[in-house]
Amino acid sequence: MTKIDPDQIKVILATDCGSTTTKAILIQYVDGEYRQTHRGEAPTTVEKPFADVTMGVVNSVTEIGELAGRQLVGDDGRIITPATDTAGCDIYISTSSAGGGLQMMVAGVIAEMTAASAKRAALGAGSIVMDVIAANDGRRPHDQIQRIRDLRPDMILISGGTDGGTADKVVQISELVAPAKPQPRFGSDYSMPIIYAGNKDARDAVSEVFSEGGFDLQIVDNLRPVLERENLGPARDKIHDIFLEHVMAQAPGYDKLMGWTGAPIMPTPGAVGDILQTVARIQDINVVGVDIGGATTDVFSVFDKTFNRTVSANLGMSYSISNVCAEATMPNVLRWVPFDMNERELRNHVKNKMIRPTTIPQTKEALMFEQAVAREALRLAYKQHKEFATTLKGVQQQRTVGDTFSQQTSGQTIVNNMALDLLVASGGVLSHAPRMHQTAMMLIDAFEPEGVTMLAKDSIFMMPHLGVLSSVHAKAAEQVFDRDCLVYLGTSVCAAGQPKPGKLCFKYELTGDKTDSGEITGGEMSLLPLDQGETGTITLSPARGINLGEGPGKKVQRTVHGGTVGLILDGRGRPLALPEDRSSCQSTVQKWLNALEVYVEEAQAVGV
Amino acid sequence: MTRALVLLLALLVSLPSVTRGQVVTLAGPTDVFAEDVPDDIGGQVLVKWSLSSEDHLAADGSRPINGYAIYRKVVPSALALESGAEAAAGPGELGFADDFDYEANQPVGTVPYSVSQFLDENVEPDVAYMYGIAATGPGGTYSPVSSAAAPVIAKMEYINQGKLWFFIIMMIISIVIVYFVFYAKRGGKIKVRPIAGLEAVTEAVGRSTEMGKPVLFVPGILDINDIQTVAGITVLSNVARTAAQYDAELKVPTARSLVMTTARETVEAAYLGEGRPDAYNEDNIYYLTDEQFGYTAGVQGAMVREKPAACFYMGAFYAESLILAETANSIGAIQIAGTAMPSQLPFFVAACDYTLIGEEFFAASAYLSNDPEQLGSLKGQDLGKVIAAFLLILGCLLATLATVVPASKPIRVAELYIKNNVLGEDGLVPNELKIAVLDGELNRLMEADQDAQPAIQEGGN
Repeated sequence: MTKIDPDQIKVILATDCGSTTTKAILIQYVDGEYRQTHRGEAPTTVEKPFADVTMGVVNSVTEIGELAGRQLVGDDGRIITPATDTAGCDIYISTSSAGGGLQMMVAGVIAEMTAASAKRAALGAGSIVMDVIAANDGRRPHDQIQRIRDLRPDMILISGGTDGGTADKVVQISELVAPAKPQPRFGSDYSMPIIYAGNKDARDAVSEVFSEGGFDLQIVDNLRPVLERENLGPARDKIHDIFLEHVMAQAPGYDKLMGWTGAPIMPTPGAVGDILQTVARIQDINVVGVDIGGATTDVFSVFDKTFNRTVSANLGMSYSISNVCAEATMPNVLRWVPFDMNERELRNHVKNKMIRPTTIPQTKEALMFEQAVAREALRLAYKQHKEFATTLKGVQQQRTVGDTFSQQTSGQTIVNNMALDLLVASGGVLSHAPRMHQTAMMLIDAFEPEGVTMLAKDSIFMMPHLGVLSSVHAKAAEQVFDRDCLVYLGTSVCAAGQPKPGKLCFKYELTGDKTDSGEITGGEMSLLPLDQGETGTITLSPARGINLGEGPGKKVQRTVHGGTVGLILDGRGRPLALPEDRSSCQSTVQKWLNALEVYVEEAQAVGV
Repeated sequence: MTRALVLLLALLVSLPSVTRGQVVTLAGPTDVFAEDVPDDIGGQVLVKWSLSSEDHLAADGSRPINGYAIYRKVVPSALALESGAEAAAGPGELGFADDFDYEANQPVGTVPYSVSQFLDENVEPDVAYMYGIAATGPGGTYSPVSSAAAPVIAKMEYINQGKLWFFIIMMIISIVIVYFVFYAKRGGKIKVRPIAGLEAVTEAVGRSTEMGKPVLFVPGILDINDIQTVAGITVLSNVARTAAQYDAELKVPTARSLVMTTARETVEAAYLGEGRPDAYNEDNIYYLTDEQFGYTAGVQGAMVREKPAACFYMGAFYAESLILAETANSIGAIQIAGTAMPSQLPFFVAACDYTLIGEEFFAASAYLSNDPEQLGSLKGQDLGKVIAAFLLILGCLLATLATVVPASKPIRVAELYIKNNVLGEDGLVPNELKIAVLDGELNRLMEADQDAQPAIQEGGN
């Protein structure tokens, strides 16, 4: 791929080849800024009978070309580059999650240390981690070998030991993998790629272990050279390389597609992570993103420039909906529903959704139930994310006598809802909710943001495209992300602490494009109008023990941005607690839903 | 000759109060009364009397009475039972004879002048004693022995009424402990605050495994009879289990041979429990020396040579604490310390990654084992601490209020009750005598106030 001057890029074509749909967007330089102008989609054609992913790409791009009045596909069936005034694009980029995306197995010596780092590297590169093998995972060697044999990963990442640290244990782990002879998913002539990113002193021994048996061993720098520092970059880059060279090369049509793209094809989740990191870096903010799908829920976070991604494999809205109900328990799901529901009917509804994933709710009650399930799926996924996104374990601490009564272990979560600036939602149940208010309410209930947080949703799931674009043109990616990718729902102002019901929680005074003032009591929610593009300055005076960002009881002043929903004031306190009693819970939830106009009919909402 | 004999006889007759070289010239004490001390095991008798009429300073500054001698004799129990009847008629045959030999009979005790009671702590239970008191003066002068009104029998009481509050509090704590033990056994959840130092054990051992370095465990410098060493061995068991799971090398240098033996057995059991008897190496648990600094030097040498990635200090430590902690810090080891030695805690806190402080160290066993009996016991003890803290705060509050509002009877009585009944030995019922004294004091205060009132009014006018 030739190096492209970012300043010369005016027309960008990007596709995301999903398992079922290939989505294409066109980004153009309009009036001094990059904007997403058109989008199109077509069924993915990676499976038989087509067995050529480029067919779906061409179909989706052709749709865009027709909409934009611009010829993007040439007579030879290829995407036209570079752009002219009426045809082609300057750069074509793509992501892919077709065929289940990138599936990996990782191994390390200690589950919470090098194995956790390996998992972070794999997840950060956009893969699904099928299993983590570690010396202390509680399984006997024969069980571990059987598990490795049963899995069919696209590649394996082995780490372990600091540089100069243990070599024996790393070799032992390698000796579990080698005899298991795991078979790759694609291609019988495909050598299983093994990435070794462990103790450099053990490289020779590990190489010897994998010298036979048809493995393709790739050695990169240790991802934990010392326990105090992670070095995930080389392992992530190698995962991307192997994804392109081995995994993609085996998938039908990808060899052709790779010849078209102006930047390496990236796994879809990896690209989403990249755009969130880019935005967090450029705007100097903390971001959490979520993509809730049918089978899995991906959570991405960037706190203090540290990126983390988790995939909750069994939390989703169709294939995994039964698991969500089982894990969260039905009473926890139903607490979000403000009326009685027949549990038997609900179970039928859940199973129906599982076996017919494309079913959409037909009644308001069904919609409310589905969104209740979504709240629990998101809550559980975020909980898993918090447990995974931690500081490094096994690190030496520096203490003073002042720490006598406040000692904390390492490995504390770095997810801090009070420091969260932007919460981005994507995925069917969030993106396609009938009202934006429903999306906002689901986000607030599930993620429990604290203080002042901007809420947004990725309306057409454009983040993967922008993620790969950020690798070639960060400015364009950031501009499109800000202007076209995100639909801003508004700003939430949420009190942390336990306000007393009916007593003052905080006072507010809004100035700017809209002015208002008043009080929020404990357990109350309120919605103030603040439209898209409007901003204001809000001054908050919390009651004693209530924190809105500056500490308990301390006054806060923030700039707030409007959105399609408005400014949401939440006096329910954190952690969010719903009444135990069912009828009391129903009336409380109904009160909140009414306050935020969550299920108000559109006709009423616009005052028609 | 005859006249001389008559004169000698007359002289002898005229000296009836001089018996066997002792001069009985002083006035004796009166109202002698002996009583059994209540709420004891029957080993004490309290004797009281009214002072002799001569127990005061004479005009020339001298004292006719130096003190009092307390005499005791055993009387038959049967006679003692009749003493009530005899008391009215005088001591009779139970009392002390007029020709009492003061020198042949050693007193059971003496007290100086102006003291009117004596506690005899050397009596046998269920034996009847008759007490007699004689005033003693300078030059071997005595008063006649004043006998007690009645004999006394010291009785053993099965319940010490004075410590009933102690008993009640103990019962509450015991019941709570038993309740929580059963509660935990039934599957109830007992929350124990996360203790960072114990949570970090897996982390420290994991670090050793990743770095390919040993784990060093120092169980203190005292012998196995010290409770801190025992607590340290409990933690060692957990560390050894984790080391077996993580396949880390564990080294335990000891300063006492018995500690070494105990540590070996503990570690071996832990490895066996984890199914890794092959990984247990007896030679890794070794004895260095009993000498404090010889041991310290030995451990330091091991640290510098082998550079362990994790060091545990669990037990009793003295001056070697900072030497060890600083040395391990210089080699980059994670350090976890636990001790109940207050003087060493600041050093450990400053130099180590994690420190178990006093109670945390002793709670480690319950925390690590998750054993319902230990957890229930821990919870019950916590309640005991809460009760103690509550009484402490209440006592301080009442004492402060009693000083600020001295005329308030309820506050004064409550303070008195906390001090003398709950924390003291007055039993459940408030001591009437002390209440009467308090009433008197309060009356005086009120009178003083009333006297002061007109003066203030006058002054105000």
